[in-house]
Amino acid sequence: MSIEELPHTADVRRRIRAESREELFSLAAKAMFAVLYPGECDHHSEKTMRVDADEPEDLLWEFLSDLLYTSEVESFVVCETVVRFTESGLVATLRGEPFQREKHEGGREIKGVSLSGLAIRTTGDMMSCDIIFDI
Amino acid sequence: MQKEFSSVGRHEWDLPLGYIPDMRVSGRLFLSESLFGSLEEGAVRQLANVATLPGIIGHSFGMPDIHWGYGFPIGGVAAFSEEEGIISPGGVGFDINCGVRMITTPLNISDLGKMEDIIGRLYQQVPTGVGSKSAFRLSATALDDLLAHGASWAVSEGYGLPDDCIRCEEGGYMKEAVPENVSEKARKRGIPQCGTLGSGNHFLELQVVSEIRDQEAAATFGVQEGNVCCMIHCGSRGLGHQVCTDHLKTLEKATKKYGINLPDRQLSCAPLTSPEGESYFGAMAAAANYAWANRQIITHQVRTLFESAFGIAHTEMPLVYDVAHNVAKWEKHTVDGSERRVCVHRKGATRAFGPGRPELPAVYRKTGQPVIIPGSMGTASYLLAGTETAMEKTFGSTCHGAGRVSSRKEAKKTVRGAAVSAELKKQGIIVRAPSGDVIAEEAPEMYKSSDEVIRVVHEAGLSRIVARMMPLGVIKG
Repeated sequence: MSIEELPHTADVRRRIRAESREELFSLAAKAMFAVLYPGECDHHSEKTMRVDADEPEDLLWEFLSDLLYTSEVESFVVCETVVRFTESGLVATLRGEPFQREKHEGGREIKGVSLSGLAIRTTGDMMSCDIIFDI
Repeated sequence: MQKEFSSVGRHEWDLPLGYIPDMRVSGRLFLSESLFGSLEEGAVRQLANVATLPGIIGHSFGMPDIHWGYGFPIGGVAAFSEEEGIISPGGVGFDINCGVRMITTPLNISDLGKMEDIIGRLYQQVPTGVGSKSAFRLSATALDDLLAHGASWAVSEGYGLPDDCIRCEEGGYMKEAVPENVSEKARKRGIPQCGTLGSGNHFLELQVVSEIRDQEAAATFGVQEGNVCCMIHCGSRGLGHQVCTDHLKTLEKATKKYGINLPDRQLSCAPLTSPEGESYFGAMAAAANYAWANRQIITHQVRTLFESAFGIAHTEMPLVYDVAHNVAKWEKHTVDGSERRVCVHRKGATRAFGPGRPELPAVYRKTGQPVIIPGSMGTASYLLAGTETAMEKTFGSTCHGAGRVSSRKEAKKTVRGAAVSAELKKQGIIVRAPSGDVIAEEAPEMYKSSDEVIRVVHEAGLSRIVARMMPLGVIKG
């Protein structure tokens, strides 16, 4: 499993590789939060989030977009997400802590998760996807 | 990439039909020979993708600061017919009405005292960076008024001067705004952030007018050589980002519903006359109004600080103009000899209306509108005027900045933030930002030469140079 930084002139582009769909989604969230909050993060509290969508790519996009929303509105820095898929989508457990300027500042705000080129690929035992975050 | 284009005028190039399948019009790019060296295939592909959209008129345009984005290229412009055209969030972006404004002051550099002090105070005064919240309290009811009336709401609440609204594109608000189309999620994001700068390439910069090229226009715009001015670059914050996210979902469904085939999902769209298209337009206009109010509140914060620091009145710091970079708007343009109402998408591009246009305030009707083009951190910014040529060639559009040339990954590999700050300090430019990485990513060498981009738009006639400004100090988010 890996998060690779790909070149993109205007924005941030990441290639996520994982051995399972659960891991792929968790890593995509980790990649996003590493851009937002590059400092340390401690697991002080836990939240649950539910997302529904029909297609796998739509689910990933909605999941990341909702995470972005939750993090901003609730001032919550997410260190780790554990994803469990359901019939209609997923349930995610978010572990993290409240945003503290002195600890978490210095990252880049993500304006949105682009649908451009968002596709989940399966090659052998590995799954991968490329994601563009607008910053 | 240059071999794919044919020259059709000075700095003007055509990307022919057939570059990709289903192009309805050709691409039209404004670029110098030297800028071709940094043109990315991804940006050209996106220029061609836009040319496949239903109802596009004329060409898919690329300005000389074009670079690879998502959906439209950054620096992309396209106009769509009222009858057959579409509206797409991919032609506006997540940061709806990200834009820039410029205020002048009667101060000279020597009046500012130690630059670190005033930049430090501005950094304290204007919230910047991830997680920043405004000291300004906005109620849910006030947000509705703000979404409907933009900058004029802020001025009516005491955060500005009456002339400020006249000196904004659209008078500081789009009358087509439909606040009810802005979701609860977007509102929750917007309430604590009005009066904040954000992060990334957003900035607040103090500059000095270093050169006047057009004395008459400069006098009309109120700029004098040697005067200190302030440029504010930011957008609609989380509220606008959420409006884009919300409507991408509905427009994806609409794309299928109306049988539109797209080369890129981010170009999801709907006919302008469809319920989905109208719903997005109303929400987008409301988010654009948020952005104008946001820049207005920040302007007030700057004026208040300058009043306290230097004893000058707010009225001595007039707004030159405020321009939008990321927006779709109804405009009237001459197409094939007749006037038509078209929806112009500008993504990383600036309106550059020429003399005589009724949309311009009376004070600028003779000169053409002020066009404000920020340079990269540490390089020159420009004040230009809109032209007749822009009206004829690009639906009244020009570039919006220097344009990135290197990715953020390359930036961090190539330079260190501390070294960039130290180098800029040697040149007399003070930078404040929450982290070194932000400074590295925005280093001047990561952008095209603003001088070259401006030379192209000036020589191609898309706008004409009025004044050049050099940076003194900048705060980044």
